[in-house]
Amino acid sequence: MSHHDSPTPSLKMGLPIPNSKLGMWLFLGTEIMFFTAFIGTYIVLYFGSPGWPTDTHVTHISIIAGGVNTFVLIASSYMVVVAHEAMALRNFDKAYKALLVTFACACLFLGIKSYEYYGKFSHNILPGQIAETDEQAIEKVVRESEAVSNEWLNDLVPGDGSQERIHLKQIAARNVEGAQGELDQVTKQLGEMEGGSAERRAEMQQRQSILQAITSNKTEVENWVALDTAVTKLRDDVSANRLTMAQTTERLETLQTDERFASHMAAVHHPHPILYGNLFASTYFLMTGFHAVHVIVGMILFAMVLAQGSNLNEQWTDWVENSGLYWHFVDLVWIFLFPLIYIIPGFDRGMPGH
Amino acid sequence: MAYQETAEGHHEHHHVNYMAIFIALCVCTAISVVFDVIQLDRRLIAVLVLAVAVAKAQFVMRYFMHLKFEGAWKYVLLLPTAILACGLPLALAPDIGLHYYRPDVPQVREAERLQLTGGAAHGGETEHEEAEHHNGEAH
Repeated sequence: MSHHDSPTPSLKMGLPIPNSKLGMWLFLGTEIMFFTAFIGTYIVLYFGSPGWPTDTHVTHISIIAGGVNTFVLIASSYMVVVAHEAMALRNFDKAYKALLVTFACACLFLGIKSYEYYGKFSHNILPGQIAETDEQAIEKVVRESEAVSNEWLNDLVPGDGSQERIHLKQIAARNVEGAQGELDQVTKQLGEMEGGSAERRAEMQQRQSILQAITSNKTEVENWVALDTAVTKLRDDVSANRLTMAQTTERLETLQTDERFASHMAAVHHPHPILYGNLFASTYFLMTGFHAVHVIVGMILFAMVLAQGSNLNEQWTDWVENSGLYWHFVDLVWIFLFPLIYIIPGFDRGMPGH
Repeated sequence: MAYQETAEGHHEHHHVNYMAIFIALCVCTAISVVFDVIQLDRRLIAVLVLAVAVAKAQFVMRYFMHLKFEGAWKYVLLLPTAILACGLPLALAPDIGLHYYRPDVPQVREAERLQLTGGAAHGGETEHEEAEHHNGEAH
C-alpha cells in the first residue's frame, strides 16, 4: 500500500501553536525566573532589614508618577490587543494606529521614569552614595565640601586635577597676597635661566602659569581661600569628633548662605542618613532599570512593525502577536513593581520613630 | 476576539471584551492608590495591594495574553519556571529574612541606637521636612 492511500491520518508532532509563539513563551518562562529573582529578593531584603526606608518622601518615590505610569502601561497593553485583533481581521490601518499609540505610551512611560530617575540623581539616592549613619552623613558633607573646593580651584587655576597639582595650586592660592611678588621672581628667574635642564624649566613655567592665574583672579581666589579655610576647619573638627549632626548641618548652612561661595556649596547635600538606603537604591535601580530596558526592547519590536508603514500586511500578524505577548509580560512585571516599590514602602512595621 | 491556532491550523474565535478588561485594570490601579491614602491597618494594606496586583495579573494573563483559551501546554511550560523562580527568594529567606539571630551590621546597630535614644528613624518625616526645606521640591 502506498503512503498516499493510507487511511491513517498523518501524525502532527509538537504543540498546537506556531513555533514563533512557542519560542516567545519559552523566552517568557526564562523572564519569569529573571524578574521573580529580583522581586523575590527585594521582598526578602525588605522584611529582613529592620529600618528599611519607609517614607516615600525620603526615598523620593512619587506614587502619582508610579500610578500614572501604571495607567500608561495598561493603556498600551490594551492598544496591543486592539492591534492584534485588527491584524487578524486584516484591518492593517487600524492595527498600525493602535501600535503607534502603544509606541507613544512607551515613550511617555520612559519620560516619566526618567523624571523619577532625575530626582534620585539630584538627591544623590544612588547605590553606594547614601550615608546610612550619622557618622557617614557627617563624613559625606566634609567629602563633598572638599570636592567642591578642589573643583573650584581647578576652574580658577589651569592645569590637570591630579592630587599633586591640586596640592601645588592650594599652596600657591593660600598665599594669594604674596602671589604677585612670587610671580615677578619666577618670571625673572625664567628670563635669566640659560641652559639648565628642560625639566626644571617646565617646572618653573608651570609655577608661572599657576601664579599668573592666581594674580589675574585675585578676588575669586581670595573667596576660594575663605572657603578652603572653612572646609579645612570642618575637616579638623569632624576628625576630632567635635561635631554632631545638627552642628554639621548648621556649619553647612552657614557656608551655603555665604555669598562668596554659595553657588559652589549648593552642590553639597544636606546630611540625611537613610538606613539601608544603599540596598534600597540598588534594588530599586536593578528592578526598574531592567524593566526600562525591556520597555526599550518592546519599542524596538513595535518600531519594526511601524517601519512597514502602509506596507503592513498579514505576514506581520504573528510578529504582532508575539511582540504583544512580550509587551503584556512587561506590563505584568510593572503590575507587581508598582505596589512593592511605590505603595508598600509606606507600610509601618513599628520601627523606631514611626 | 481572541484568535487561537488549533491543532489543525485553524483559528478559533473567542469573544473578549477587551475594553471591559482595560477598565477593570484601571479600577484596580485606582483601588491600589486608594489603599495607600485611606487609614487602614498597614499590614492589611500590604496584603490588599498585593491581592489587587494578583487580580490585575490574572486579567492580563488570562485575557490579554489569552492563556484562558490556550491548551494544557501552558501548564507544562509555565509551572516549572514558576516553581524554579521561587528558588532564589526561598534560598535567601532563611539567612536574610527569617534569621533567629541579631545580625551584627551597622544598620541594625544604628536602628537600635535610634530606638534607645527615641530619635526619629532615618527616613522619618522630620528629616523629610528638613530635606524639603533645604533641597526644594522632591521628585
